[in-house]
Amino acid sequence: MSSFITVLLDGLAYGMVLFIISVGLTVTMGLMRITNVAHGGFAMVGGYLAAMMIRAGVPFFPAAILASVAAGLVGGAVEMTVLRPLYRKGELAQVLLTFGLTFVFIAGLTLLFGTNSQAVPLPDYLSGSVHIGFRDYPAYRLFLIATGLVLAVFLWLVVDRSLYGAKLRAAVDNPRIARAVGINVNRLFTGTFIAGCGLAGFGGVVGAELLMLEPFYALKYLVVFLVVVVVGGLGNFKGSFVAALAIGIIDTAGKFFFPNISAYFFFSLVFVLLLWRPNGLMPAKSAA
Amino acid sequence: MRKQLVGFCAVGALLAATGIASAETVKVGVISTFSGGFARWGEQMKRGIEIYQKHHGDSVKGNKIEIVYRDDTGPVPDKARQLAEELILREKVQFIAGFPWSPNALAVADVVTEAKVPTIIWNAATGVITRRSPYFVRTSFTLPQVAYPMGVWAGKNGVKTAITAITEFAPGVDAETFFIKAFKENGGQVLESIRMPLSTTDFSPFFERILNAKPDALFMFGPGGPSSQGIIATWASRLRPAGIKLLATNEIQEIDLVGVGKNGIGAISTGHYTETNDNELNKRMWADMKAMYGEKAIADIAMVATYDGMEMIYRVVEKLGPRAKPEDIMQMMSNMSFPSPRGRLVIDPKERDVVNDVDIRKVDESGGRVTNVAFDKVPSVKDPWKEANPAK
Repeated sequence: MSSFITVLLDGLAYGMVLFIISVGLTVTMGLMRITNVAHGGFAMVGGYLAAMMIRAGVPFFPAAILASVAAGLVGGAVEMTVLRPLYRKGELAQVLLTFGLTFVFIAGLTLLFGTNSQAVPLPDYLSGSVHIGFRDYPAYRLFLIATGLVLAVFLWLVVDRSLYGAKLRAAVDNPRIARAVGINVNRLFTGTFIAGCGLAGFGGVVGAELLMLEPFYALKYLVVFLVVVVVGGLGNFKGSFVAALAIGIIDTAGKFFFPNISAYFFFSLVFVLLLWRPNGLMPAKSAA
Repeated sequence: MRKQLVGFCAVGALLAATGIASAETVKVGVISTFSGGFARWGEQMKRGIEIYQKHHGDSVKGNKIEIVYRDDTGPVPDKARQLAEELILREKVQFIAGFPWSPNALAVADVVTEAKVPTIIWNAATGVITRRSPYFVRTSFTLPQVAYPMGVWAGKNGVKTAITAITEFAPGVDAETFFIKAFKENGGQVLESIRMPLSTTDFSPFFERILNAKPDALFMFGPGGPSSQGIIATWASRLRPAGIKLLATNEIQEIDLVGVGKNGIGAISTGHYTETNDNELNKRMWADMKAMYGEKAIADIAMVATYDGMEMIYRVVEKLGPRAKPEDIMQMMSNMSFPSPRGRLVIDPKERDVVNDVDIRKVDESGGRVTNVAFDKVPSVKDPWKEANPAK
């Protein structure tokens, strides 16, 4: 029983990291139909920046927030300069360009930091263990779960309860009508893209213990991020939350119960799920 | 008069001949990984060469030793084979060296055998490699050579039960097989053998399973880099508090401990090169490395195997000259024994493979760095794979 709860907590913590990083991607791919395979790159940039700042003496949280802002700004710059001209060019051009961008990230970080992995040092109060009734459990993972929950509630309030959110949902569901009623979809998109990249950067920092920072981060974990988006349904926030948690828990449980076939187990489940619901668990209306 | 003339000519020809000989260039083709996620291998080998040339110059008796680098981009056997052909046909190299990867080394065996080019393996650690070509010689180690002593040590030092957890690829299986063999021979019991996918990011569920089984120790094998670091970090947070030991081989190197920090403390491993070795050559290599590449540079097994491989080539050119017959070169290289940063490099002439003293080390904090500290040694270990698979 104790192991059961531990595995559940481990899965939740992993799922929360996936959610924080992937939620921006679901916006990019859902809102403007941009196939952005460079998303992991923004998470990686955030992580590297935070690692650098913390080593230079900046405390953990300010470093994490500054690094996410920086990742968001990098994202904004990329969106305005190289992505925008591609909106009407079709998926192949978008995949090629963002894939190339991923290699730019990889080569740039290799040049600056070398090929070794980078540790993001945790503050003392996060690196220890907390007694949770039946055993000691790493404080860091409890922190991940809490952070993920807070962010999820915050995003839900923004998306479901604010005017900004209403416009965003309108633009996701039907960009043409949204434009017709006077919503500036392009500006909405840039703003959301920046926020999404910022969140990815934040995920890169706080998730660095689970998804190790190294130059190939952007490619290595891309598949998992894409799986979250596809399983959740393009452009659906709640969908990506549910999908990220489900994937985190299923993957973790798979490794615990069937360690020698865990990779097949995970991808077979995704395969079956997509056969059953090709548009994901909760597709946005425009995709259905 | 006529006689004199002939004499002059002969002397002149002799002078000319030695003149040419002393201006010869010996080309060494190095096939290693210089780009992509595994570029550290190439970088460390290049540094090993440069440090060696700083110590011994870039020529031997006036013969310039020229290094020609080629990038195999990772474990890509076809690419390695094509590069070897190019080095032999176009660059006309006298030696080939490098090979971080076993599949790449195996892929060039036919090529170097046919062209009779002496080839030095600077890392690839699968046992069978040196059997595949009479022109192969190895200065690194073999996986069974380090995994087997780990199993023996565990069995003799109070470890009764163990679980093995390896990332799933060929060398991992080699490590698993020989650890289990040695551990069982020494009275140990293996509770479970877990094979984790290479793509694993979060190791905690595997470790939760191991925690439930309560073995005395976990034997791990990782591919080096982030993946191995993830295994070590998860051990530190989940299994170390429960008193489960971590046993490993060469993937616990100081160069990888940088990303792990104090999480690694207490891990026990076997390896043929320990960074804190107290010999003059090792200290000199470290000092020059720091001077040449900065304080952050760290020596590893790739650098040491390269350093020793260069010593082999220099000794051959010194004694046999720049244009020796490949058979003579192989004969000489197979019988070599000389001081190395690891202690001593010894080649077993029968198998053309390295015989290593295997250190048993523990990760500890020493002089402000988290590194390996050797506390025991198994002298002169030959490759156990070859003993288990005698040549026909």
